[in-house]
Amino acid sequence: MTVNKEKLSKNPLEVVTWEVELERVGIVRRILYARRWYGADWWFVSISALAVALFIVVALFPKFFAPYDPETLVGPRFMAPGAHPDLPVLVVLKNSPVNNLKDLAVSEGTSRPGISVVQGVPTAGALNEQAQKIDNQIKNESRGLRLRPVIVRYPTLEEALQAVANGNNQAAVVQSTEWEEVSDQFPTLREGQSITGVNSTSGGFIFGTNDIGQDVLSRLLWGTRVALLIGFSASIVALVLGVPLGLFAGFIGGTFDRLFSLLMDSLYAFPGLILAIAITAVLGPSILNIIVAIAVLYIPTYYRIVRGQTLSVKEEVYIEAAKSIGARNMEILRLYIFPNVIPSVAIIFSVNVADAILTGAGLSFLGLGLPPTIADWGIDLARGQRFIQTAWWMITFPGLAIMVVVLAFSMMGEGLMEIFNPKLRER
Amino acid sequence: MPNDILYSIRNLTVEYQTRAGPVRAVDNVSLNIRRGEILGLVGESGCGKSTLGKAMMRLHTTPAKITSGELWFDGRDLMSLSDREMPNVRGAEIGMVFQDPMTSLNPVQRILDHLTETIHTHEPETSDATARVRVEELAERLGIQRERLNEYPHQMSGGMRQRVMISLALALHAKLVIADEPTTSLDVIVEAKFLDLLKELQKEFGLTILLITHNIGVVAEVSDRVAVMYAARMVEVGDASDIFAEPKHPYTQGLLKSVPNILLDGTELYKMEGSPPNLLHPPTGCRFHPRCPYVKDICKNEDPNLKPVVMDQLAACWLYQETAVNGR
Amino acid sequence: MAKPKTLNIEAIPDRNSTDGNMLVRLEQVRKYFPVQSGFLASLLNRGHIPAVKAVDGVSFFIRKSEVFGLAGESGSGKSTVGRLVLHLLEPTTGKVTFDNIDLESLSQEEMRRMRFRMQIVFQDPLASLNPRMTIGQAIEHPAKIHLTKLSPNARRRLVLEILNAVGMNPPDAFYDLFPHQISGGQRQRVVLARALVTHPDLIVADEPIAMADVSVRALLLDLMMKLKEEFDLTYLFITHDLATAKYVCNRIAIMYLGKLCEVGPLAEVYQHSAHPYTRALLEAVPVPDPRHRRTESMPAGEIPNAINPPSGCHFHPRCPIATEICGIEEPDLYEIYPGHYVACHFA
Repeated sequence: MTVNKEKLSKNPLEVVTWEVELERVGIVRRILYARRWYGADWWFVSISALAVALFIVVALFPKFFAPYDPETLVGPRFMAPGAHPDLPVLVVLKNSPVNNLKDLAVSEGTSRPGISVVQGVPTAGALNEQAQKIDNQIKNESRGLRLRPVIVRYPTLEEALQAVANGNNQAAVVQSTEWEEVSDQFPTLREGQSITGVNSTSGGFIFGTNDIGQDVLSRLLWGTRVALLIGFSASIVALVLGVPLGLFAGFIGGTFDRLFSLLMDSLYAFPGLILAIAITAVLGPSILNIIVAIAVLYIPTYYRIVRGQTLSVKEEVYIEAAKSIGARNMEILRLYIFPNVIPSVAIIFSVNVADAILTGAGLSFLGLGLPPTIADWGIDLARGQRFIQTAWWMITFPGLAIMVVVLAFSMMGEGLMEIFNPKLRER
Repeated sequence: MPNDILYSIRNLTVEYQTRAGPVRAVDNVSLNIRRGEILGLVGESGCGKSTLGKAMMRLHTTPAKITSGELWFDGRDLMSLSDREMPNVRGAEIGMVFQDPMTSLNPVQRILDHLTETIHTHEPETSDATARVRVEELAERLGIQRERLNEYPHQMSGGMRQRVMISLALALHAKLVIADEPTTSLDVIVEAKFLDLLKELQKEFGLTILLITHNIGVVAEVSDRVAVMYAARMVEVGDASDIFAEPKHPYTQGLLKSVPNILLDGTELYKMEGSPPNLLHPPTGCRFHPRCPYVKDICKNEDPNLKPVVMDQLAACWLYQETAVNGR
Repeated sequence: MAKPKTLNIEAIPDRNSTDGNMLVRLEQVRKYFPVQSGFLASLLNRGHIPAVKAVDGVSFFIRKSEVFGLAGESGSGKSTVGRLVLHLLEPTTGKVTFDNIDLESLSQEEMRRMRFRMQIVFQDPLASLNPRMTIGQAIEHPAKIHLTKLSPNARRRLVLEILNAVGMNPPDAFYDLFPHQISGGQRQRVVLARALVTHPDLIVADEPIAMADVSVRALLLDLMMKLKEEFDLTYLFITHDLATAKYVCNRIAIMYLGKLCEVGPLAEVYQHSAHPYTRALLEAVPVPDPRHRRTESMPAGEIPNAINPPSGCHFHPRCPIATEICGIEEPDLYEIYPGHYVACHFA
């Protein structure tokens, strides 16, 4: 919206006020000016707004950020944060098309591939196991491939690798850490994937792995999806139901108002988590039911706030003016009351989402939510409980995540409430 | 300082910071209030008269700040008093009456208690009984029946509450009363009686009153002298009769002509063009020049100071002054 | 002393009713606001619930194209009368007629549709404008409701026209601004524009210039009178300021504590005031001339409570000429001069 100051100043009767001049400054500069005016509150809101934005981005594109799939068993169990796993990996010629064990499968009748291993190292056992597993898998496929490698033992690592470099064997299977130490000596060779099919060169596990071998960080990042889904859905449902009820109750009053206020006050009187537990217990555990339970919990909040605001806005002179020009009741609600009530709702929404995420995590912590394989912070908290002494990272990081996100939303909501200086009341 | 000047404001500037920059609500204003007179300070909204009134008692709150100037009350430099000494002056020596006394009276305290307690605070040596008697006598003099002193503020009407405020000032033997829009929220008959009361108090107690208002009729009714403010500057000062008969500053002229006089028939009301300027970016030179029917070149460049035009009447206008630089 | 007369206004034939010149008519209108409501209240008060008698039996008429002033102090009921005329409040008893139509007889929908003919301008322009609506939207809204045949473009043109008429130039510069972005004087113009957009017959102006700066008031009054000519309006001008009323009103009514004291042509009422209250009011108005001194003394006491007003003539406890009958019998409006009515036993 632009103000043409030129046109306005041509009128000798009126002079532009400084508020109008301020409007012309533009939204970016106003945000920067806001820092000077609001001081600490500005930092509050900005930092938490950034955190919230980050959270939303991660929730929308978790694949982009997460190093691993959250449900696959990608590594050894109970790996501490930052540890690099020592996996048995394939080492092949640089130009070889082979990357993992499965690539070594050949059709029946062809010569069996050779794999060098170091004598005395338990790698062979794991290799055998894995090869058999894959063989059983592909045996049933109709392509007629089999994986039955010939395992050739060598006394030293160098000899085992040399055999591959010479072309005697298709691949070698050695510990990744050992390969790293000697890789310079074999410029023609390169590392492939681990025998379980994971790229061991892809960083370690920054937050460690959990009790069944899933990457904690990936679960964390994928967990934002569920948190976001529950948090926003529940709040939106509560808003969509609570706001119109509050508007009508405040505007029309009478029996409608008394009835619903009674209902809402009763709901409001319940301790939140208990009510949510009760509802989920009745409906059964699932994401939808969690959303319903939390939404029911928050409808009274929106109802009360909107009703209160409606009652006070109703007394304003411009409502009487609207009646005097012949506006219908629905018009008055829509054009005069609703827009003036909305600002408070927006602020409540932010704090509400925080609360909903927390309640959602609480519910799944208690086991009332989702199946345990889905990445969800509450579930991870529950799982990590038992291992708090031995694998502290299992519970700490999900807990921190919940805290940070809830804090971010709350701070943003509170900060907005401080900053939100309705121009309406300014003169 | 001559004996008959009770309060002297010299070159006072009150500034406050807004989001868009510093604003001078009072800009280099000087004014002398003589002992025993009623001085009417007139101006429209935003001219700075209320800020001036508050600054005189150093009651202005942050973000407003006195950035320059002197305030001399009864020979004392008020600016030199500490924050702890100032409250002794307020109330006891300078009383204040605001527009809505509901905000200055304690809603949970009976009037009598409030008044006697205030007397105690300023005069700890006065006994309870003496204070009570003083309050009751004053109340009666001001037309408040004794029984009503036991009421709470919300039980009294607006006019009554204003009288209570005045009685407070009198009870403490205040020398000066600053009344900021005291009758704006009152009905016209109550207002008339209140104004009569002010004149009686002036005669009987020798009370000096600074009456701040935008109501020209009120000013004409009670003031001995009048001061006119516009856009944070003082533009005209003089005897009431002189100013109303022959206003010198074009703003005063326009203002007086635009006020309806119930005694006159068929006179056209003067319509002043434009509106008061934005104090963030006031016009250069004389602040009234964009609206002035007699504007000259010099008015756009230089801001005139208050100078005597005729005897005791001062006006800040180039129509009556010559510049220091050239004689045009 | 003449015997107090008790002729009722109803008994006097309306000299203008035959040519339909009467736009608004109030007959014995009362509006009581109960102080408490509900079953418990009536129980506690033994069935008789105390009420604020804001308007207590008021009758007058407003002629087409005149400026009818309604003056009084706080508690007089003048603002309530303004709303009763527009049927924003329903009378407890009595009849309000607009252009020969009894407003009570209309259904809610019919009344709503009538509103384009009668509009109100409030005292506080900032409070009476929706802070979330632009000026263009605010003025357009009545047109949207009532002038349904207009296309959106035609509507916008109409709004711009009206903005021009109230002196907001250039109009399209103001169209998208919000109320807080313009000055107080401009806001009052916007409120006027909103009232005018449907070309109403009647505008009730409730203290329209009280909140404007002194130097702006004359401009606004001038504008209102100019618009009256341009749009052929009738004004009900509610005010407490008798000096202003003198400049614009053709006829004036003085109210005290819910009752009419005096009604008549302005010059008549001001120069030959018959009611002691009217005289006191006129005397009390501050005059911007330091040479002027008030000659008459002000009535003693203050305006009493409207819940329990004094018996008989409400003004009698403060009246300088009151006698016994004033406390017993309420005086009716009586015509002492053609068109000039007074409610006093001793007029």
